[in-house]
Amino acid sequence: MIILIADDEPIVLDSCRLVLEAEGFQVITLSSADEALRVIEEEGPDLLLVDIKMPVHDGMFLMEKVKNAYANIPVILMSGYATPEVVKESTERGAAVFLEKPFTPSELLETVRGVINKEE
Amino acid sequence: MLYSTRFKLIASIAGVAFLVGAVSLFVGGRILYQSVLNEANNRVRLDLNSAYEIYDTHLKKLQSSLEITSLDSSFRSALMKGEVSSLVKHLEGLAKFAKLDFLGVVTRDGKTVCRIGRQSKPDKKNNVVNPLAKHVIERMVPVSGTIVLSGDFLSAENPELAERARIRVISPTKAGSESREERTAGMALASAIPLVEQGNVMGVIYGGILLNRNETIVSRVETIVFQKESYKGQNVGATALFLADRAISTSVVTPEGKRYIGTRVPESVRKHVLDNGKIWTDRAFVMGDRYIAAYKPIEDIFDGRVGMLYVGILEKKYTDIWKKTLTVFILITFAGMIFAVGLGYVIANKIMGPVDRLIRASQQVSQGNMTPDIGPIAQSEIGLLQKTFKDMVKSLEERDRRSRAESENRLLMSEKQASIGRLAAGVAHEINNPLTGVLTYTYMLLRRKDIDKEVREYLEVIAKSTERVRKIVKELLDFSRQTKLDREVTDINRLVRPAIAMMENQALVKGVSIVFNPGENLPDLTVDRSQLQGVLLNMIINALDATDPGGSVTVSTALSLSASDKDKRGIQIAVEDTGCGIPSEHLDKLFDPFFTTKEVGHGTGLGLSVSFGIVQRHGGTIWVKSDVGKGSTFFIWIPITNQHEQ
Repeated sequence: MIILIADDEPIVLDSCRLVLEAEGFQVITLSSADEALRVIEEEGPDLLLVDIKMPVHDGMFLMEKVKNAYANIPVILMSGYATPEVVKESTERGAAVFLEKPFTPSELLETVRGVINKEE
Repeated sequence: MLYSTRFKLIASIAGVAFLVGAVSLFVGGRILYQSVLNEANNRVRLDLNSAYEIYDTHLKKLQSSLEITSLDSSFRSALMKGEVSSLVKHLEGLAKFAKLDFLGVVTRDGKTVCRIGRQSKPDKKNNVVNPLAKHVIERMVPVSGTIVLSGDFLSAENPELAERARIRVISPTKAGSESREERTAGMALASAIPLVEQGNVMGVIYGGILLNRNETIVSRVETIVFQKESYKGQNVGATALFLADRAISTSVVTPEGKRYIGTRVPESVRKHVLDNGKIWTDRAFVMGDRYIAAYKPIEDIFDGRVGMLYVGILEKKYTDIWKKTLTVFILITFAGMIFAVGLGYVIANKIMGPVDRLIRASQQVSQGNMTPDIGPIAQSEIGLLQKTFKDMVKSLEERDRRSRAESENRLLMSEKQASIGRLAAGVAHEINNPLTGVLTYTYMLLRRKDIDKEVREYLEVIAKSTERVRKIVKELLDFSRQTKLDREVTDINRLVRPAIAMMENQALVKGVSIVFNPGENLPDLTVDRSQLQGVLLNMIINALDATDPGGSVTVSTALSLSASDKDKRGIQIAVEDTGCGIPSEHLDKLFDPFFTTKEVGHGTGLGLSVSFGIVQRHGGTIWVKSDVGKGSTFFIWIPITNQHEQ
């Protein structure tokens, strides 16, 4: 199970890697949407965990590209600016679920597992 | 409009003055005219009588001089002896003395013995009947009076007399020109006395004055009656003698210096005076000018109306008096009007002055000056108006001040919210990432079994504190978000009831009763149900927190008008508690973000300011009343129809 994580914040990337790898997931971390798009093609991840607010191209853009190319890869969008509007927009545009920052390890795992279970 | 009122005032006063002036001018003018005319008429009648008196006096004088002569012994003896030349001498003396035009003696057979003048001894062929002598001989009594003498008689007496009597009668024709015909008869004042000697009539002495072209009587009338009064170079009085309807002697002189001889009186006058024998008085155009005229018939010795005596007074003199008075009247009227305009101006200023100032004052008020100058308070209804105006401005100012304070407050609050919002957005973005790191690493450490108890305790403090930071940031974000309202038609009671139900357990645990008094027949509101419910929950939680066990929280709904705008209808939700109350120094800050009275860790203080934002976006207001020790009531007011979407 390969999880690709895109966020411009190294601390978030590190945190996620730490938690998910401890649970046996294979994790690829990238710091921009464009990098992520390139890697997705090579690696073919099972799940994407994407921050909405990123420089150049944001998480929404990335999710849209992915949805167009690989409709079956679920995307979890996350943001520290979790207003109801943002949450609503995320799910409307195809996010499997919205993850509100900050989160504890158990909250992250619950969310990821929930999406995986739903996919299966 | 301003000047029109002033103008109306002045115009009405001037109008009244003009009306009074005009009416008195008209009525007074008429009365004056009538009395002037009456006065003139009376005077002319009196003058007519006086003139007639003079006429009569002449006649009497004539008779007495004849009588005296008839009794004269030398005259009588000359007559007895038939001394014609002696008689003529006597007669000429008398004629000179009495200014007689003709004088003579006639025998009892009617034959002329002698006469004055060139034909003192009558021609036998040309013997004309002497009507006067004939009349006396028939009656044998003295006769005196007016008589009409034929031209033949006059020329027999004296051709000069006949010449004097000859008059060209000027009568206007229908064609507009004048027809002239000659008349030879003359009118005379005459007297005849029988000469009696021892019972026998010896003859008759006769004599008289030819009135045709005679100026003696008319000038005497002028002298005595009119006293030669003149007006603007014209004689005021005029007098004339008429033989039948034609003038034979007059005092009136034409501009060429001739006298108006031969003119005729109008037919109406002739009829009135000659035919009916009455005195005629009226205004008339006589001999070239307007006169107030009077005519009196003259009767001859045979009791026939043969002529007229005319007296006239120049009308101009009287009409000029009338005109002069009328002019004074008009001047007074105009002066009155000018005075009235002046008075009207003063009065209008007195009335309109304060009104003008009030108008200026209200303009100032409308431009925002709340302390306009309305001048001194007048002692009239205007004064009352001024006082009322003053009160009105005062209360207007008060209301203005209140609403300004209110809107300033609101603006301040919105600004605060906006800046908090920007801050919150930044904080949320920037803090939540590192917080993720802190939370992750802390919890990952806590998972490890190989850490000692002390480290675990420290890690738990870190985790707990971070959770608190997380909560604060979350609330800050809640407060800041400018959420669009998701409105739907809602029965407000059905929104309040579940909120209360949700809190009932908590209340029960705390030992506080919670009561709902729903208002009846409330109209539906179009509101964001979940946000408004959040506000309500927040308030109920606050109320429960403030209330000690045994107390109560009462929620009620009712129709209500807006506190600031009485035209707006809305629904008011009141949350009343019997808690500790809010000190007045806290009331102002109650809706400020981060203001809280709760202990540290028991709330960030964002609740009420978030509620404020939500209610405000609904176009409503939120406020509180509180008595320390008795409790507080929070009010939420939402308008029934609103376009305050934000």
